[in-house]
Amino acid sequence: MRITVEDVRLTRGEATVLDGVDLTVEAGAVTAIVGPSGVGKTTLLRAIAGFAPPAAGAIRYDGADLWAVEERQRLQLRRTVAMVPQDRSLFNTTVARNVAYGLGVRGGPLERLRMAVGGVQATDALAQQVTDALALVQLAGMGGRAARTLSAGEAQRVAIARAIATDPAMLLMDEPTSNLDPQTTAVIEEAILAAVRRGMGVIIATHDIHQAGRIADRVAVMIGDTIIEEGSATTVLEDAASPAARRFLAGELPL
Amino acid sequence: MDLGAVIGAGPETTRYVTSIIRVSLQVSMTAVAISTAMGIPLALVTAFRRFPGRRLLTTVITTGMGFPSVVVGLVVLLLLSASGPLGTLQLAFTPRAMIISQTILALPVITAVSLSAVQAVDQSVRDAAFAVGATRRDVAVRTIAEARFGIITAVLAGFGRAISEVGSILIVGGNIVFTDGTSYTRTLTTAITVEARQGRYETGLILGAILLAVVLVINAVGAWVSARGDR
Repeated sequence: MRITVEDVRLTRGEATVLDGVDLTVEAGAVTAIVGPSGVGKTTLLRAIAGFAPPAAGAIRYDGADLWAVEERQRLQLRRTVAMVPQDRSLFNTTVARNVAYGLGVRGGPLERLRMAVGGVQATDALAQQVTDALALVQLAGMGGRAARTLSAGEAQRVAIARAIATDPAMLLMDEPTSNLDPQTTAVIEEAILAAVRRGMGVIIATHDIHQAGRIADRVAVMIGDTIIEEGSATTVLEDAASPAARRFLAGELPL
Repeated sequence: MDLGAVIGAGPETTRYVTSIIRVSLQVSMTAVAISTAMGIPLALVTAFRRFPGRRLLTTVITTGMGFPSVVVGLVVLLLLSASGPLGTLQLAFTPRAMIISQTILALPVITAVSLSAVQAVDQSVRDAAFAVGATRRDVAVRTIAEARFGIITAVLAGFGRAISEVGSILIVGGNIVFTDGTSYTRTLTTAITVEARQGRYETGLILGAILLAVVLVINAVGAWVSARGDR
């Protein structure tokens, strides 16, 4: 799968929050969008995930303009992509039901009813998908726990399992490891790389350039509501062309 | 359980009291069911949609929680009375008229409490649902599920408002008893006003105790549902 962001402009009220963003992302690789806080990384991920139409420009999934197609087709397109929000985002139910949620909403009325009554054990296939997704984030056997009893790190891993369970072609993650301990961070980065090995594409928004160095194949530097530089991780992180990107990567405050 | 033995009354009084309880529950539960069916979608729309008049609507809802029930009764009666705009429906002094006025009283309570419950659901939770393939409707259903405890409280508060009010149903229902001594539009609360006015304080107190018991049972059921839903 290929996602293209074409000259996207997004406004909130009077303010412009994304301005002329261009980006192409391919499956089977990790793309890191790095930049200081508040430059619109979250806004860009939300735009890519199809939360709201841009004021100008286009978001394309394999060429199809997300906002030029009918609602039904947009839903089908959206379902090839999943996103993990930055903040704690689990539903107040069991871990297993959280992980099964995305699969549940894809089912017909009968399947939904069976799931509402029987939970994730409703079908063997569903139970297997939940088990696999939990194993990927190293939380095997935790399905019966109440989500609200989890630690922050466990909750984030369940949120990732919930997204991965839908088997997206592209996985979007907003600051997936901010405020987490190094061990949990390692588990999550390993899960990301495992997903990529299976052919999934991953886009992470992060202000942690070291994380980008560890797992990203491509890096896009975002400063001042737009992407100022994009390229292979090694090139951008070690030898950025633009002075603003170099200053950010060197840990200086952007101007 | 034999109600007559519990309240120490003969068969005629027992029949009278039983019919009053039935009318009370039928009217208030129907009004609460209608208010819930209207109030929850109204709360979701008010919480998450941007439209002109949204703030005015919020003000109307919150103000509605304090509507004096006698005034509601008076307005409903004026609308439903034979010479009123809805007079042809012939609803004045019927249980249906009481359902209408109690719906007007319970709807703002249920909507306002549900509104604060659904607004308390984190945006990231709603985003997460949408971002793994939920439709707008799925997100709304998930939001209701997340706000379930607050919504149960809302329904209980609405029921409390309906079952305990006396002003509007006295006016629009007329506190009528059939010639066979069973209730047509007499409820626990309106019956108490009759008993008190006629000096039968003992009967009034028994009816009051039954009213309290009804509220207690409904709240206990609510608490039980809440406890079961917390997983």
